[in-house]
Amino acid sequence: MSRQPSVLRLRCPAQSRFVASLRHALVSFLRAHDFKGQQLDDVTTAAGEALANVVEHAYTAAASQVDAYIGLRANVDAKGTLALEVYDGGAFVERRPTRGRGFGLRIIRAIAGRLTIDTSNGTRLRMIFERKR
Amino acid sequence: MNEAEPVKVIRLTGELEIGRKNEIRSTLRAPADGTPVLLDLAGVTYADSIALTELLRFCAEAQQVGQPVALVIQTPQFARLIQYAGLATVFKVFAEPAEALAYLTESPRQ
Ligand SMILES: Nc1ncnc2c1ncn2[C@@H]1O[C@H](COP(=O)(O)OP(=O)(O)OP(=O)(O)O)[C@@H](O)[C@H]1O
Ligand SMILES: [Mg+2]
Repeated sequence: MSRQPSVLRLRCPAQSRFVASLRHALVSFLRAHDFKGQQLDDVTTAAGEALANVVEHAYTAAASQVDAYIGLRANVDAKGTLALEVYDGGAFVERRPTRGRGFGLRIIRAIAGRLTIDTSNGTRLRMIFERKR
Repeated sequence: MNEAEPVKVIRLTGELEIGRKNEIRSTLRAPADGTPVLLDLAGVTYADSIALTELLRFCAEAQQVGQPVALVIQTPQFARLIQYAGLATVFKVFAEPAEALAYLTESPRQ
């Protein structure tokens, strides 16, 4: 395997029908970097929740429909550290938890040891994972 | 199978994810007569929170008409998703269809 960091970058319209393809591309990329088993499942689950949130929440303000995109960036360095980012150009929606919803961020927090959410310019979730053997 | 207490089987397979939201919603329709429901999710390969929301809605609707629901889940990703979401005690989850069927047809339920 290369000693250089390896980067996957994806960008597509923020529509629900594209989410599965983004997730599948991420899985292929991570498999190629020896992520597997429960860790691969967990990273994929967290990514899936972040992607779904972009589609469902990021562009709800009518004015921001112009370029409604989802961005995904996965960087694996030579040590096997994965930095995974899911980002959008919308606006984070502060909301009180409602019954029967609000699982996505809870699931992401349960999975990602290191998580930052930057809402200063759209929303950018950044998660760090150390590859397990 | 006991005729007095038939079990309705609803099956969903593949990836239960945001792109299939409408299909999942229309498949998860509770029969209005109180028939126990076995939700066969053994062939699900991936699930997300959209699937959880639809399952919760379905189970709540079923509970209102006194209709027991048992889920069959075999995929580790799906089983862990339920744990991570804090829903482990909300759903009746079984690894084997036979166990789910036994729960629906035999047990005195609480
Ligand atoms: N990319 C985003 N853009 C705008 N708002 C967001 C974004 N991600 C999350 N949010 C806000 O955070 C809230 C919580 O997200 P979370 O994923 O936990 O729950 P949910 O998406 O509402 O429901 P569920 O994930 O159970 O389907 C959302 O309801 C929304 O208000
Ligand atoms: Mg969500």
